[in-house]
Amino acid sequence: MTEIRIIVCAKQIPDPEAPLSDVSVDAEKMEVIVDAPQVISPFDENALEAAVRLKEEGGGKISVLSLGKKVSDTVLRKTLAAGADELILLEDDNFENLDSHSTAAALAGAIRKIGEYDLVLTGRQAGDWDSGQVGLILGEMLTVPCINLARDISVEDGSVVVKKSVPEGYERVKAQMPALITVSNEVGELRYISRTKMLKMMRGARSIPSWSAEDLGVAPEALQKMGITALSSPPDMGRDCQVIEGSPDEQAEKLAAVFQGLR
Amino acid sequence: MTPHRVMFWQIENVWIFYVLAGLATGLFLAGVVAYVTVWKKSSGSLEIPFSKEALKRMTLDVFLGRRVLQGDIAAGLMHLLIFWGFLSLFIGTSLLAIHHYIFTFLEGTAHLIFSFGLEVGGLMLLIGIIWALIRRYLQRVPRLERRLEDAVVPLWLLLAAFSGFILEGLRLTVEQPPWGVWSFVGWRLSGLFSPAGAECLYPYLWWGHTVLCLGFIAVIPYTKLFHIMGAPAGIYLQGASKPTVPAMEEDAGEFDLGDAIFFDGCMRCGRCVEACPSTGAGEPFAPRDFVQAMRQALWQEHFPLGDIRFMGRKEENKMDENLWYCTTCRACLEVCPVYGAAFEVVSKKRVLAVEEGTQIPKLMNQTLEKLFKYNNPWESSKRKRGAWADGLELIDLTKRGAEADLCYFAGCTTSFDDSAQVIARSFSKVLQIAGVNFGILGKKEPCCGDIARRVGELGLFEEQREGSEELFDKYGITEVATSSPHCFHTFKNEYPETSFRARHYTQILRALMADGKLRFKKGMEATVTYHDPCYLGRHNRIFDEPREIIRAIPGISLTEMNHYRADSLCCGGGGGRMWQDLQGEVKMSEVRIREAEATGAEILITACPLCLIMLEDARKAVGLKEPFRVMDLNELVLQALIKLKIEY
Repeated sequence: MTEIRIIVCAKQIPDPEAPLSDVSVDAEKMEVIVDAPQVISPFDENALEAAVRLKEEGGGKISVLSLGKKVSDTVLRKTLAAGADELILLEDDNFENLDSHSTAAALAGAIRKIGEYDLVLTGRQAGDWDSGQVGLILGEMLTVPCINLARDISVEDGSVVVKKSVPEGYERVKAQMPALITVSNEVGELRYISRTKMLKMMRGARSIPSWSAEDLGVAPEALQKMGITALSSPPDMGRDCQVIEGSPDEQAEKLAAVFQGLR
Repeated sequence: MTPHRVMFWQIENVWIFYVLAGLATGLFLAGVVAYVTVWKKSSGSLEIPFSKEALKRMTLDVFLGRRVLQGDIAAGLMHLLIFWGFLSLFIGTSLLAIHHYIFTFLEGTAHLIFSFGLEVGGLMLLIGIIWALIRRYLQRVPRLERRLEDAVVPLWLLLAAFSGFILEGLRLTVEQPPWGVWSFVGWRLSGLFSPAGAECLYPYLWWGHTVLCLGFIAVIPYTKLFHIMGAPAGIYLQGASKPTVPAMEEDAGEFDLGDAIFFDGCMRCGRCVEACPSTGAGEPFAPRDFVQAMRQALWQEHFPLGDIRFMGRKEENKMDENLWYCTTCRACLEVCPVYGAAFEVVSKKRVLAVEEGTQIPKLMNQTLEKLFKYNNPWESSKRKRGAWADGLELIDLTKRGAEADLCYFAGCTTSFDDSAQVIARSFSKVLQIAGVNFGILGKKEPCCGDIARRVGELGLFEEQREGSEELFDKYGITEVATSSPHCFHTFKNEYPETSFRARHYTQILRALMADGKLRFKKGMEATVTYHDPCYLGRHNRIFDEPREIIRAIPGISLTEMNHYRADSLCCGGGGGRMWQDLQGEVKMSEVRIREAEATGAEILITACPLCLIMLEDARKAVGLKEPFRVMDLNELVLQALIKLKIEY
């Protein structure tokens, strides 16, 4: 079997698991402010893990694309440490806050620029806005078969076989390559990248290519920004804990009274 | 006629004996060479540092059997009997060889003493072996395994010793020497045979005995008997090699000579299994099995023929999963006769697992990510660090111009966990009452690196260590008090050189007490029991300070649990276990809380944030109700001090 060429799309986002105290909402500016470290979106990490495993099994080459106004290579170099062969940053001032369609268009431009590929892997959705659209739109734009919610991916002579999560379990779906697959967390977490490995990757004199909208042949006018119509702070989640004392009978009685009071 | 012994009495073709002896020695030496080869290959060097203390300790341990006696007198006496019995027979045979080949001296009185000595030695060996067999097969001591070699080795030795006595009896039956009574066992036996039969039987039995004894020598390197050499070597090396400061070196996860010899010196006595709190809670980890698996792996990797122990069996290879159960509590090292630190071996294997990346349990993987991103294992915001101090009006040492005599390092868990914050708040109040000029690092307080170190993420540990050192330097901090024994241990033992002195809060409280700055008055009346945190007690030998503080509080009486001081059980929170969800039959903390309950004490005192959380959770889980409580030592001290203030 010839070695396969995999493209993984990875989005850089503020840590979605950041403590709530680090998240605030500016309702006037319509902004969610997350004061947390930048990370790779968790589902995209799952996609990368799936890619690395495919490479470990049958060999191949992995290219990682990451798109944004400014992408931190210190965050994205983790993909190289995990086993990706190439990291390409898609950076342009016009890439700020794009909607899903425009994001897919820019990514499609980059993938066409790369040329040959067998698989495009994306996370099932991004960990910040959870839209879950870019992957499927991208598949459409590339006019390749598209399978979403993959929990297991294997390659069999020219085809890709995917176990796709459905509410009752999974379906086994086969598609001709090249294909696009959106990857779900069941695939497994990205392997741990030790700090030693990471530091080596940082120190390594490796130039990371950066492509602009112009390089991708995407006209700035064609890019749409995501528009928010309304944004408000979440309601006060303060909890008031009341411990009900007494014998089981008394406790039950008091608890019932509390419920009645709430009605 | 002077008492003497006829050599090779009734034996013809003595040359066969020399051939057999040569063969046995050859096999023995070949085995030893194999060991040395494996040691050299696995550790890269055979460099052995000289240390007088280590030599002394080894000699005393070997000849007095101190480590085997410790904690199990029956096993120790049994071992001493076998050891001295075997040794005196070995020395006796060597003397006889000198007498025969070099110069004749075993005549007259010397011969009588010699004969008597060998009788005693043989008898000790016999009794020791029979006792050993009884312990293993009749008494069925739980920590002992019953593998094939566990039966073959003692039976072999038993047969050799027994046939020796019979042989002597036969010889004395025929010779009837006037000094025969000095060989008192053989002399008794001699009455059982007829002289003609004895003379006829003797040569056959002699050859049998010879084959058994020579075979025994040959088989030493190929069975657990190798501990005869491996154990002393291991004891020496554990004492002689310098404790290594972990660093991000290339070989950080590799075994060294001490490890390799420890594996080969282990004879599966199982004391570690008995002591291990993880094994005790029904978890799949057992230090002995782990060490044996490591031993076998080393041989398979570094010796062309694989494991040299022919009666060995395939060790279970689930070690990659079981690796994460160890809490690094050090209980195994306390009881190991060869001072083997199985928990350190676990740490080394974790370094390799972390480098490799795919074998780390999911939750640990996430914890490590958080530890790096947030510089604490609780995924808490830096801004919340120091929030425990709100309203206490403490000095923030990171503010311009702030100075204090002592820096209180609360630590991640004490800072962020709601139930552990009580430690920081009560300790601060105690310091305020005692008039200590102290400050905290507030939002800038870093993680000491304990978790990264224990879990094997040495790169992260290195970064955290450097970060902490820089911070302490920057603010000119020279005295540090920690809430956690883990931070204390890491600062004290795993930061190579520091410009500050780290102490645990129990040491600070004890010093304040000695200076008369803490004066307790009679407050509450209660019986309490004290749980030794592993990293305070076993790792740093601080057993007395907390107990002295507790005893100094009027109205409080201290009672001990079944396991205390160096023998204490682990709460299950150390070594990164706090941030994993591994399951055994029961929780270690629940085993411990039951022990505390059994003392009849109303309060369980501890001196570590991890222990406090684990034990308090266990109290709730097993449903122990008021008045039974789990408290940090600071809370108890503060209560006694506040009483004092009120009474003024």
